[in-house]
Order: sequence, then C-alpha cells, then structure tokens
Amino acid sequence: MRKVISFLLLAGFVFYFATLTGGLLIPDSSADRSSVGLDILSRSADETGSANAVTSVVVLYRGFDTLGEVTVLFLAALGISVFMKSTGEKRKKVLDQSFILKTGSRLLFPLMFLFGMYIIAHGHLSPGGGFPGGVIIATGFFVILLTSESVNFNKTLMSVLEGLAGLSFIGLGVVGLLGPGNSFLQNFLPLGTFNTVFSAGIIPLIYAVVGIKVGAELSSVVYAMKESK
Amino acid sequence: MVNPILLIIVPLGTAFLISLTASFLKNSTKYLALLAMIANVWVSIKLLPEVMQHSINVVIAGVKPPLGINLFVGPSGAVFSILISAAGLLILLYSFKYIEGDSQHKYYTLFLLLITGSHGMVLTGDVFNLFVFFEILAISSYILVGYEGKRNGLEAAVKYLILGSIGSVLILVAVALIYQEAGTLNMADLADKFGMIDPSKRLMILVFFITGMGVEAAVFPLNSWLPDAHSSAPSSISAMLSGFVIEVALIVIVKFVYSIFAMTEILGFLSLVAVITLLVGEFAAFKQANIKRVLAYSSIGQIGLILFAMSLNSTGGINAGLMQIVNHTASKSILFLVAGFLIVRTGSYQISDYRGIAKKMPVSAFFFVIGVLSLLGVPPFFGFFSKLAIIIAALHTGSIFNTVMVFLVLLGTVIESIYFLRIIQVMYNRDGIVDSVKEAPFLPLLAIAAFAVVILAGFLVLPQITGYTGGVASEIVRKMQMAQVF
Amino acid sequence: MNGVLSISTVLNFGSAGLIVLGLYIVFTQKNLIKMVIGIDIAETGVNVLLVSTGYIKGNTAPIFSKAGLQVSSMVDPVPQALVLTSIVIGFGVSALALAMIIKLYEKTGTLDTSKIRGLKW
Repeated sequence: MRKVISFLLLAGFVFYFATLTGGLLIPDSSADRSSVGLDILSRSADETGSANAVTSVVVLYRGFDTLGEVTVLFLAALGISVFMKSTGEKRKKVLDQSFILKTGSRLLFPLMFLFGMYIIAHGHLSPGGGFPGGVIIATGFFVILLTSESVNFNKTLMSVLEGLAGLSFIGLGVVGLLGPGNSFLQNFLPLGTFNTVFSAGIIPLIYAVVGIKVGAELSSVVYAMKESK
Repeated sequence: MVNPILLIIVPLGTAFLISLTASFLKNSTKYLALLAMIANVWVSIKLLPEVMQHSINVVIAGVKPPLGINLFVGPSGAVFSILISAAGLLILLYSFKYIEGDSQHKYYTLFLLLITGSHGMVLTGDVFNLFVFFEILAISSYILVGYEGKRNGLEAAVKYLILGSIGSVLILVAVALIYQEAGTLNMADLADKFGMIDPSKRLMILVFFITGMGVEAAVFPLNSWLPDAHSSAPSSISAMLSGFVIEVALIVIVKFVYSIFAMTEILGFLSLVAVITLLVGEFAAFKQANIKRVLAYSSIGQIGLILFAMSLNSTGGINAGLMQIVNHTASKSILFLVAGFLIVRTGSYQISDYRGIAKKMPVSAFFFVIGVLSLLGVPPFFGFFSKLAIIIAALHTGSIFNTVMVFLVLLGTVIESIYFLRIIQVMYNRDGIVDSVKEAPFLPLLAIAAFAVVILAGFLVLPQITGYTGGVASEIVRKMQMAQVF
Repeated sequence: MNGVLSISTVLNFGSAGLIVLGLYIVFTQKNLIKMVIGIDIAETGVNVLLVSTGYIKGNTAPIFSKAGLQVSSMVDPVPQALVLTSIVIGFGVSALALAMIIKLYEKTGTLDTSKIRGLKW
C-alpha cells in the first residue's frame, strides 16, 4: 500500500517536474543567457589572477561557502568519532597480508602523497585543488590502513592538524578583514604572473589549508571506521 | 562599527581551536566556548541599535554582490542573533553541570557549530550560502540528538537524519531552479528578478523550498521526527532545538515568502497548515506520559501558533509572531532545562514519578510553574501579551476564516492548559513518593532564572521589545530590493 | 536543437528521474542502508540538475590555460563550484549516516526499520 501511494505521489512529481523543466531548454549559446556566473567569468582572470575560473569562484567569490563546506566535513568527522569510539581492544587478525602487498602499499604511499600535493598546488591552474588533493592523500593512508594490521596512527596529531588548518583558513580571512580591503577573505597578496604556480594571491594558500584539512579529516574518518568493531 | 561576520567566525574559529587544544586542555575547553558565547552576546547587543537605524551589508572577499556572497543584517538578523546568542550562553552555562563524561570537548565543539549554523542562517544574504549553513545546523543537531549514544537517541537521530536529508535535497532542487531561472543567488537580486519568472515555475520553486525547509521547521506533515528527536536529545540540546532552531527555520520560510518571493497568495494555505500543526501538536501532547515528549509535542503546537500569526499577511501578525517566538524561546528553555534535572535526579521520564517533587526541588518546580504560565499566556507574564497580540492581529484582518482559526487556536490553548496543569498538580502533590532527591546545582538554576527574568520583566520593557519586533516585522513585510541594499 | 533528444532534455529528465528514484527508495525500503543509498541517489540527481544549469552547448571548461581562449566559449563556472560544495556535503552526511547506523545496529541487532520501534513511520 505504501509502495503504491509513494509511487503515485512520485509519478505526479515527475510529471509536474518534467512538464515544467522539460520545456525549458538550456540555451545553445551564452548570448541569450545572463547570469552571475558569466559576469564572474569575464572578470575573474583580471580580479583574482587565477587561470582556473572555477577555483576563483570556489576560493574567493564563494569562499564563504567553502569555509562552510570544510566545516561540514569537520562535523562529519567529529560525529563519526562521537559514534565510533575506539573500543580499546585490538581487532583480531583477520588475514595475514602477503609481504608483496604490504611492501607495495608502503611504496605506493609516498607517490600518492606527492601526487596529492601536486594537485593541491596546481588548483588555480588546472582542474583540481584542495578537495581532490586532500582525498588523494587520504586514499594513500587508506591503502596502508587496509594492508597493514597495525599502523602508528596518531589521532591527536590529526585532530591538531584539523584544528590548525581550520584556524588558518579563518586566520587568512581575518587578515583580509584587518587589511585595507576591510573584507573577510579579501585577497591581500600580490597576484603574480598569470598562469604560473606562484600567482593568484591567497588562492594557493587557502587551497593548501583546505587540502591539509580534508586529508586529515578523511584519514581520521577511515581510521575510526576501521578501529570500531 | 562591529563587523557582524564576527558572529559567525568567532564560534566557528573557537570550535576549531577546541579541536586543536583538546588533547591538553581536556574538559577545560568549555571555558573557551564560554568566552566565544560572551563575545557573541556582546557583538549582537552592539549591533542592534545600529541595525535599527539602517541595515548593514557585509561584503565578503571584497566582491560586490551579486557576484560574491554577502551578509545582510537587517533588524530580523540582529534580533535573532541576540536571541540565539543569549539563549546559547545561558544553555551553555547550564551544560557545565549537566554534561558529564571525559570527551566533553566534542559536545562543546558541536554546540558552537550549532550556534554558527543558526547565526549563518539568519544573517546570510545568499541563497546557496543559506543552504550551507542549513547543513551545518542540521548535521550538528543530528549528532547532538544521538550524542549520549543511547538506543532512543540513536533511533531518533537516524530518523531525523533521513528526513532532514530529504529536506535538504528539496532545498537544493529549489536553489538549482533559482539559479537556472534567475541567474543569481543573491537574495536581494533574486527579489528583483523573481517576478519575471514564469508563474508556474515560481510556484514550483516556492513549493520545493518550503517543503524542504518545513522539515526543519516541523510544519505538520513533515514533523514526525520532532517528538523523538527533541525528547531523546540531552535536555540542554532539546532546549536549543525547541528554543531557537525550529524558529530559525520558520523565520527563513517567512522571509522567503514575504520579502524575497513576495508570494503572499499562499499565506492562506500556510495558515491552514499552521492551525492543523497546532491542533495535532496539542492533542498528541495531551496523551503523553513522558515529560520530554509532552514538551516536544507542545513545541509543535507552539510552532503552529507562531506560523499562524506570521501568515496573517499583516505587520501586526508578524510582530505578534515574533513576540511569541521570544516567549517560546524563554519559557520552553526553562521547561526543558528543569526537566533535564528532574530526569537526572529521579532517573525517570514518567510524569507520575515526579509526585510531590516540589518539596524536594522547590526552586526548580517554581521555575517550571513560571515557564508553564507564560507558555499558556497567563497575565502578567510575557506570554499573555504575545498571545493577546496574535488574537488581536487575527481578528483585525476581519475575515471569517481567521475568526474560525482564532477559535481553534483558543481550543488548542485550553488543551495545553489541561495537560500542563496536570503536570503541576502532580509535582505539587502533598503525599510525595519521591525522597532523597537533591535540588539542581546552582549554575543551572542561575541560567534558568535568567530565562525567567525575561518572562517576568518582559511586560516592563514591553514598548522596547515591541519596538524591535515591529522593526523586524516591517522589514519582513517589505520586499527586498537590490537598490535599497547597496 | 535539431535532434529529438537534446542534451539539455536528457539532463533535465535524467536528474528528475534520479531524484524520484532516490526518494522512492527512501519511502519504500525498510533496510536502513538501502535508505541511505536512496538519499545518495537523490543527491546525485540534484547534483546533475545543478551542474546542468551552467551548461552551454559546445563550450569548454572555464580555465584560461593558454592564451587566446575566449570567455564566450566557456561554460558558467558558478554551478561547478556549487556542485563541489554539494558533493562534499552529501559525502559528509552519508558517512555520518552510516556511522550512526553501525552504532544503531550494535544496539538493536537489526537494520529493518519495521523492527526498530522509534523508526516506524
């Protein structure tokens, strides 16, 4: 009965939604479309010095959203640590991993770490940035956690890193607030040469902070999930 | 001038600082939270007189809206900031003695993030930013509901999370459609451009938005999570969730309907929903034996009453609704906070187990009575004036529909008074069955007393309060305009 | 826009379909893990809808990687930034939901909502 009702309800929804949005087609050229995004596109390169317009939107134009987004991840990691309190006792050995797997994962980790750093450092030049880079670094930790029975994982260090990275994000914002622009997250550094690594003012700095934070948070999420029974 | 952005970044930064220092400060991190809340109260009090003169627009990242995100602090933002930070500070003081255990820093971090999310929702001037702060608010409340790790709390938290996620999906659909149709995310810019959108699409956006936000605001068919979540959370958190979280979601709906979408034609429907919410809440509360469930259902009833006042399409109605919000925040916080120590001391949620407890916990019981009387609207408590204002505003519209609704609202109040007076009768029963029960500690009682002062002294400063709420009401009724904001 | 199915139509109907499919799963399934999967599917649908609002036919990614790229040949960058935010938020919510469900399973020994008292609706 519940299935029938929800099916009818949702079918009505589809019909309503499709008739309204189906007739509305996305224009073929930018000429007949005006939006905030296209305005930003035409000025972001000059204003922010970032070659990647999406990055300039993420970090500066909508940087406050990114601060909130990092907070949501922080919250999720915190929530998981509230619910998955480490039971203290060591997990039983499930499988003795082979020597090749263990060594291979340890060899892989520095490479993945380096690649993540590369992605973070080039966020303002190419697709990438703090979020993907942080995820790649966390994946490196994940590979080691999966293959090794005991890892020296310093939980305190991770929570210190999370807090420090979050505070630095706000700190960078507050410097802008106190500076001449008098606006939170204002770009206070010189823009540098367009399309080089050292350019775009505070964008690479903020992305580095975001990368550290995302990496630390996801690693501790994965660790908490593994440690709990 | 103090910058309103401090209201958001101070609690947020302190939350990160607590995570940074938790390993060596341990439970002393609560004093960091206290400092942050005091700073917040100070900033919001400094802001209020300035904002009453003219609204403050804070540009972020040095980008002029609509390209960037801005905070728009009108009277509604300032009044709600005071409400959030003052109630937050008092509930924090209460938590000092109420929350126990060794990983308390997690509680205080979540507490500060809940405050951050609420401030962000009332201050932001950007639709997508509103969604982000909504998520911060929602996720921190999911975690706090299940914080104690007991079975009931976890069940309620999972239920809350699933319904809340559906709500946030709907809000995001509304945001996507807004961007597709209007090409902007700034609220004032949207208010300018919204009228140009095809009417059927306007209605669709509004329906998605209100349904999504209505989950958090606990409007009738979407509120099945509330009684579980508010009754099984730690009592300090119940007080926050009932005291300002649902009201924040409600005021966002009201702001969108009046000042952004300017679609007052759906208000008739909203007031019908509101009265149904009220009656459902009061009738359900009547049947409960668990004290926190009674209070939770009574919150549903109150939210119905507030929404009814706000959907009268008049300045007087919104003004009355805001007064009722102030009253509800203060009195429901008192009731939840008292209930918290009643449960701790007796170890029971059942009202029948509190027989004669007034002899053992006289101060708590006294404050409970004050909270109840103000919630019922007995003169000279503050609740009397807010309820009177709602009835006057409703009758003032002169429509038969609203007159019938007022009758139903009064019926709800009668039911409410029956079940609340029944609790008081049990508590003041002479042949008590409770013994060896201690009074609650001093600090929590102090926090409760501060809420009681608001209710008792409310009528002395009534002109000032209505001055502020009136300012908020006239701001909400007026449609936002880009030209006025910048 | 000559063909019967333009890419915009596919995106619109596809996103609506995913949202509806996800919500249908949430409403009808009794297994908590399946409900979380349903929420994820619905969120994916919204993300598709969100990113499609910035689509302009034939245009490229908004990155000025070499000289001579014209602004008029690029897509809208804002929806891409929004979708990044919404993906991260969706990830956080699902991770948290799964952690809560694991804990709930420890307490109740079941994932069936019809057997968990507080979850009947």
